[in-house]
Amino acid sequence: MELRQIVRRAITVRHNPAKRRVLQQCRFYATPTDSGSTAGAGAGASGQQGDIQAAAPITFTTNSDQFAAPRAELVQDRSRPRRTRRPDHAGGRDDHDQDLLLRRVRIVPASPSYFTATPEYMDNLLELSSLLRAHQTLPMLPPGQAPRVAWKTIDQYKTELAEPVRVKGYGMLIKLLRRLNHIHPSLMPAEVTEALEKYKRHSQPYMNAPKPIEVNEYGVSAAVGRRKSSSAKAYLVEGTGECMINGKRLSEYFGRLHDRESAVWALKSTQRLDKYNVWALAKGGGTTGQAEAITLAVAKALLAHEPDLKPALRRAGCVTRDPRRVERKKPGHLKARKMPTWVKR
Amino acid sequence: MSTPICLRCLRRSLFPPISSRAAKLAATRAAFSTTPSRSANPPKKQSTTAKRDTSKTKSLRLSKNKRVVTGRPPAPGERKALRKRVVLSNSNALEVAGLEDFTAENVRRATLLRQLEGRVVGFGDATVNVLRALEGFKPTQGWGLFRRPASLVRAETVELGEMMQTLKGEKSMLSLLLAGERGSGKSVLQLQAMAVAYLQGWIIVHIPEAKDITIGHTAFQPVKTTDGQTIYIQPQYTAELLDKIAQANRGILSDLRLSRQHQLPIPIQSNISLARLVELGANDPQLAWPIWQALWAELTAPSQPDKQGLHRPPVLVSADGVDHIMRNSAYIDVETKPIHSHELAIVRDFTALLAGKTALPNGGMVLAAISKSTAANSPTFAAAHGHPRQFARASRDRRPKLPEWNPYDSLDQRVAEVMENVEVKNVDGLSKQEARSVMEYYARSGMMRGTITEGLVSEKWTLAGGGLVGELEKGAVRARF
Repeated sequence: MELRQIVRRAITVRHNPAKRRVLQQCRFYATPTDSGSTAGAGAGASGQQGDIQAAAPITFTTNSDQFAAPRAELVQDRSRPRRTRRPDHAGGRDDHDQDLLLRRVRIVPASPSYFTATPEYMDNLLELSSLLRAHQTLPMLPPGQAPRVAWKTIDQYKTELAEPVRVKGYGMLIKLLRRLNHIHPSLMPAEVTEALEKYKRHSQPYMNAPKPIEVNEYGVSAAVGRRKSSSAKAYLVEGTGECMINGKRLSEYFGRLHDRESAVWALKSTQRLDKYNVWALAKGGGTTGQAEAITLAVAKALLAHEPDLKPALRRAGCVTRDPRRVERKKPGHLKARKMPTWVKR
Repeated sequence: MSTPICLRCLRRSLFPPISSRAAKLAATRAAFSTTPSRSANPPKKQSTTAKRDTSKTKSLRLSKNKRVVTGRPPAPGERKALRKRVVLSNSNALEVAGLEDFTAENVRRATLLRQLEGRVVGFGDATVNVLRALEGFKPTQGWGLFRRPASLVRAETVELGEMMQTLKGEKSMLSLLLAGERGSGKSVLQLQAMAVAYLQGWIIVHIPEAKDITIGHTAFQPVKTTDGQTIYIQPQYTAELLDKIAQANRGILSDLRLSRQHQLPIPIQSNISLARLVELGANDPQLAWPIWQALWAELTAPSQPDKQGLHRPPVLVSADGVDHIMRNSAYIDVETKPIHSHELAIVRDFTALLAGKTALPNGGMVLAAISKSTAANSPTFAAAHGHPRQFARASRDRRPKLPEWNPYDSLDQRVAEVMENVEVKNVDGLSKQEARSVMEYYARSGMMRGTITEGLVSEKWTLAGGGLVGELEKGAVRARF
């Protein structure tokens, strides 16, 4: 029996520990069993334990901010300077206690999230939720009316933290941020503002408000329109319906009647064709693209003159930029979608 | 009899000289052709080459690769005839009630002509025949859309008509070049001028397409002038032109007779009418050139109104698409150098008139129109009608200092000299009232549906590039959605 065990041990020592087969299952039992004491085969004295006792009761605190404390704290080593200053003081006993204490106490992570997979993220989440808890009674803006903020993307956040934050977790964080962002700006606490700042992207695209198109002192409004790969700039002035494109007449520039109509479609659909003169510069792309780029440019310039036409122009399809471009060619295809003819072998 | 060497390009012909039997056939063919005479009926290939071993061919044989001949192929010239066919009437179009005509009465009196301004006016039957003989109507002008030919009397037409009245009264001469966008109505303005001239009793000489003279499609031969220059006459073309003149001006020319002796290859009566003289030239291409010269000598002779048949009416000389005669022609001389268009005899005579070198002592007008649909590249001419004043100044200094002059283009001195004193008239789009009038005519002809409103007129006016009448017609009558 003993010999067999010795041999087995010898073999297992030789083996790669990662691949080692579990032989002594009794080692992994959570609670002591009778087997060790009753067997008495040799290892009996070491395996013996005392009576089973109840564990100390866990004390839960009601303080929900218990984890929101600052994560890392530098513990001041107060003993040494004190010792150098007052070597023969009566507090020698205190020093001794402290030394003992320090000897006994292990280094404890400052953050309670230290042993989670994503400690910093957890800290952030807990900090934000405690902030929200502190300020959740503050009046809020109606939904959708908070200032638009571009939060950091999950990739940016992950790179910053160097932690494997998951999408769902980041979603929770964003949800908290949004909620905090909805606090009424006039009552927004400074600490919330400060906390939100950390999660904002460096450049805020929503801050770039487009410059409104205005009619200048000569009564001309200018606007740019794009379609496909064409872009056009149109200058609109009150007039009698004349139209020049790149210094040419409309009929000379666009041979196709359809293109001519689409170039002045914004004016035609609002019955303003005989009220304005158009002077446009178009470049890039083909005739259709240029004509429709001019449509958009003229519509925008017309809105500067008459902002009330916006719904009419939207119904005429002159307000929204058509984002479609040529679809790219893909490898393995002859064109964007076309596949080569199937040939046997 | 054709020679084995092509005289035009000095290359050996691909085909041997045609036999006497073929020469007989050639007489029935066109007088001149740039293509070798046999290419119409190519000789059959040898049977050895025709027969091919089809079993070893590797080309893909598909049904769509075979050319299926269905029906009879069009005869030579048939397609061109179809393309050039002028239709002047549409029996499906409605008759427009109260459509006035150009008459001798309203054309001769300035006040009556002015009353017609802004209205669509028809051409009478006699006028139509004359204009048709002159080839004034063009197939692209849309005459076939309406019941009968009619045109809008615009401000320019009235201006031209009044000018012609003045020229006739003062016996003076004017050279005018009509420039403007494509479809702006240059050719129709010329047509109206011809109609007015006919009704005022003028003699009309019209070159319908100047391009036909210079593109090398008619025979030409060198001739020495009295001052030693070599010019090139085009007998066939001249004969055709004389034919048009004879047909169009028969009424006037038959009343006129020769005023003096001319050196002609054939003996003719001394008191022969000019109509007969022109017909002689029209019938025989070999006589065409001397008779053309004799005709011009007669037309530019001082009028003797007291003598029977020796009065001379004013002359309208017009040509369309003149940018083609303001550059080198497609002909080459014996040194294989390109012949300038102004060395061609007919062009030379026309440009002499246009430049005012040849006077018209009985009054007259030279009316040239540029072509924008078949515009020829002629930088000097383009500058001349684009910036007429600056051009006149610059060409006098012999240095083109024009705002848009390309320094790599050389100045064509011949063209510059001709264009120096030519007045340029820019034909622009219609006004909105004129556009409305013409659209009402479309509607009353039943060729345009809907009511003519202010909004519709201004819409069509804008889409027609600011009232270009050709584009207006295209947008209002021809467009089908």
